[in-house]
Order: sequence, then structure tokens, then C-alpha cells
Amino acid sequence: MIETSQLTKRYGHKLAVDQLSVQIQPGRVTGFLGPNGAGKSTTLRLILGLDAPTGGSATVNGRPYRQLPVPLREVGALLDTRAVHGGRTAHDHLLCLAHSNRIPRQRVGQVLELAGLANVAGTRVKGFSLGMGQRLGIAAALLGDPGVLVLDEPVNGLDTDGIRWIRDLLRGLAGEGRTVLVSSHLMSEMELTADHLIVIGQGRLLADTSMRAFIAGNSEAATVVRSPQWELLRPLLEARGALVQSEPTGSWRVSGPDPATIGAIAAAHQIQLHELSPRFSSLEEAYLRMTDRTVDHRAGLRLDAHLTTTTGDEG
Amino acid sequence: MPTDHLLTQVRTGPATAGATIGQGQAGFLQALHAEWTKLRTVRSALWTLAAMAGSILGIAVFVGATRSLQPDDTILGGSLTGAAFGLIVAASFGVLVMAREYVTGTIRATFIACPRRRTVLAAKATVTAVSMFTVALGACLLAYQIGTVMLSGHGYAPGAPMPTLLGVAACFSVTGLLGLAVGTALRHPAAAITTMFAGILLPSLLGPLLGDWQRWVAGGSPLAALQKLSQSSDAAPEVAGSLGAWPSLWLICGYAAVALAGAAALLQRRDV
Repeated sequence: MIETSQLTKRYGHKLAVDQLSVQIQPGRVTGFLGPNGAGKSTTLRLILGLDAPTGGSATVNGRPYRQLPVPLREVGALLDTRAVHGGRTAHDHLLCLAHSNRIPRQRVGQVLELAGLANVAGTRVKGFSLGMGQRLGIAAALLGDPGVLVLDEPVNGLDTDGIRWIRDLLRGLAGEGRTVLVSSHLMSEMELTADHLIVIGQGRLLADTSMRAFIAGNSEAATVVRSPQWELLRPLLEARGALVQSEPTGSWRVSGPDPATIGAIAAAHQIQLHELSPRFSSLEEAYLRMTDRTVDHRAGLRLDAHLTTTTGDEG
Repeated sequence: MPTDHLLTQVRTGPATAGATIGQGQAGFLQALHAEWTKLRTVRSALWTLAAMAGSILGIAVFVGATRSLQPDDTILGGSLTGAAFGLIVAASFGVLVMAREYVTGTIRATFIACPRRRTVLAAKATVTAVSMFTVALGACLLAYQIGTVMLSGHGYAPGAPMPTLLGVAACFSVTGLLGLAVGTALRHPAAAITTMFAGILLPSLLGPLLGDWQRWVAGGSPLAALQKLSQSSDAAPEVAGSLGAWPSLWLICGYAAVALAGAAALLQRRDV
């Protein structure tokens, strides 16, 4: 388990992490969301003991990271794929890490196999694609067979197969009872992978809740309606205060009345319906709705500004 | 990608992993093992060691072939002319042992694997000191043999190789350690190497300007200690300080110890 308590980090005048208190539980994938610059990477660095907190504390399995006796046996981390000397082979890079925690040599071969890198084990890392680098980072994280995994943007640069592989891997690891904390700004991917969400913005905790509750709590109830007599139905719905929007598929999205009410109105006026389906928001929509409500108006900054326009990773 | 097959392997991991991974341990010896592996698995590090030995040997051959010695020079001193160049390579080597990790980002992986940073520094210092000493001693012994073969019978005194050569090799270790300390403190290879060059070359230039302080400043360069140890005629008190050969070596050992302690304090305190 990972626990932060009043965790605070200040860089000069900028408060990167602001009194963050969360517990990341084992047995599920916890998604760590927030726009670029929200403090995700800083929080992960604080958890891993790379940065020292200005205030508060972060512990892994009850201890500050720097006090873990054999860190790689307890925590596997992927921070950025560039953290490798380009002149070293994949095998040698992992071997150096293995030696530092007295992990036997044959485990290096195992994790290379696991990450799908067995055939490039002897290749120098500078020739690796972004996706291969990412796989090497995952292999390094799994080296000590740790009970806690901390992964920053693991799907960056991976192709469809790779993304699927990571998703199955993370769900599998959580299914084995491990603690899995994974940050991403790719909402659609997170929606498929994570069970639980921690959302931060400007270093502060915005939400700490299950995926289902988060989407339900930040959804706009809507119903998708398709009807050959839409021109008749529309004024009837609008008279009831419904908000209608056209959908690209030719159907209409109706917010306000629930599906039963819409059905009853249509029946009462003998209007044919070809489709009447309740519609749930995606994680992305729920996220944008929530962050819209927590906009920093004084600064005129939209929290989601970066999120919707960039796919780059955090610095 | 045979995803399902691989996934099965992860799932069966915890049950079998304990057996294959054992208890693990992450102390000084493990850090040392890791640092040694880092050194031998990067070609550029091995090339640096080769360049260091090569500059010592190459110049020994040149001096032997051209007999470019002062009449009062010893064969030992003449054969070790190239050691001054080797010393500059040693400084760069020490710098890169740490600074290269900052450039490549490997430092984060290193500190995640071994969060006790002073242990990492101690391991790097050990690897640096031992590899510098070994390579320098081997190269200097060979250089002296080359000099002896090429210059004997031309009226030069042979000079006393022992314990001089041990002191010269120690000079390389200390220079490497100074480089490691400066590389750790500055983190940028170019800045650290420039600083080391200045530290090696400036004392002999500035020393004469400083009056009574000269012996501490001019004698405080690893180069001064090296020149005095190798009984070179370049080691005039005006340029190398008035301190004796071995006291010069002890002095730079002291400087290196202070520099490493400072570097360790910075390393412990700073964010990565």
C-alpha cells in the first residue's frame, strides 16, 4: 500500500503538490489523473524518494521509500523511458539494477521475455523505439517481483498491441493482489484499465473515488433518441424543458426527461421510435465536467486546457 | 505478441518468484557490484581507460625514440611524461562516472534501486579509485620498461621506480575521485570537466603569485604531486610548490576527501 499524508512540495514560489492525503490500496488498479503540470509526476517522485517533500510524508508499505531495505523487491517503478544509458544493452541495463538488489541473473531473462524483449536483449538501447523503451521500463519495474507498482504514463509510445498488453498486465498484477498506481492523461485508456481514480489539479486532491462512482457522479443524464417523426417529437420534449442536441449518427441526444418519460410522450402522440437508449458519459466527459467546476477563475486557467490539446508527457 | 502466454507467466509469478529471486539485499556490496557492471558494460568507459593508458604509453615511446629529455632527467621521469595527459583523462573519467548518469537520466533508476545515496557514491568512488589505480599502475610500469629499453646506455640515471610508481598510480585514483566529487556537485559533464582542468592546471600558474600560500596552492594540484613523484625536471618549486612529493600527495588526498564529503552532502539533500 502507498500512503501520502499532507504531502506538500514547493519549488520556489510554485506549489507543485498541496497537502495531498491519499491511500492507494492493493488489489486494484488506481488511475492517477490530472492535466500536465497538475503535480502527478512530482507526487510519484516524492513517493519514490527522489524528491524530498517540503511537508507531510509519503510511505510505501508503511515506510518512507528511502528506508526500504531492498527497494526493488517491494516497489517497481517506471518514471521515464529515457532513464537508460544508450550505450548499454537491454540485458546489461537490467543486470546492473538486478545486482544492486541482489536479484539473481536469470530473473533478467525472465522479465525480458515477459516484456517481449527477449530477441533484442543484446541490442544497445539507443536503437530502441519509444515503445521498446517503454517495455524495457516495464521489465525493470517487474525485476524484483514487487508488490507495489508505480507507473508514470506507461502507454506512451506503445502501439495497439502494446497498449493492450499493458492493460492486461496491469489488471493481472492487481488481480494478484498487488498495488498498482498508474498515471495517464489518456482518459479512454484509463477508463478501460483503472478500478479506482485519484484526480488532482494544481497539486490538490480533486477526487478519490471508484471509477464507477466518478463517472456516475460527474455524468449528465442523457438519452439517445432516433425517430422518423423527430419533427413532431422535438417540440413536445422541449416543452418539457428537455435539451436536445444532434448526434453525428443522425440520432438526437436528449437531456432532461428520462427514457421512460420520453417513451410515454412518444406513445401518447403515436410517434414511432427507432431508438431509445440511456447514455452514460465517458470518463473523459465526466472528467471535463468535474474539472470545469474547479476552474481557477482568477488565473483564467482551464484545468483541462492541456489535456484536450496535447498528448506529450509531463516534464 | 503472444500476450496470453506472457500474462500467464506474470500470474504464476508470485508463487514461483520467491524461489528464483530469493531474499535480495541492497547494501554497499550490491551497489559495488552494480557499479562495476555499469563500468564494464559501457564501451565509452572502457575507451576512456584505454585512452588513459594509451596517452601514458604513447608519450613514453615518443620520449624514448626522440630522447627528448633534459640531461638531469631520470629515465623514470622521462618515461612518465605522458602521465600528465593521462591525469586529465582520469579527471574526465571520474566526472563521467556520476555526471553521465545525470545526462542520461539513469540516476533516477539508480536511486530507485538504491535510495541510500551515500552508499551509491561510496560504490562509485571505490570503482573509480580501483580502476584508476590499476590501469595507471599497469601503464606506468610498462612505460618505465619502454623507457628503460629505449634510453639505457645514453647516460641518463634510471630513477627509483618503487615506491614512486605506487604514488603515481595513487595520484590517478585521487584525481579520479576529485573528478567524481566535482561531477556529483555540478552534474553537468562539460562544466565539471572544465572545472577539473582548471583545478589541475591553474594552481601551478597562480601559485607563484601568492607568496607564502604557494606551497598550499601550487602543491595542491594533482599534477604537481605527479611531477614531483615522477622526479621530473618540470617539478621546479616555482611551478609545483615547495612541498615535498609525498606531502603533496597527502595534501591532494585531503582535498579529495573534503570534496567527496561535500559532494555526499549535496547528493543527500538535492532532488533528482
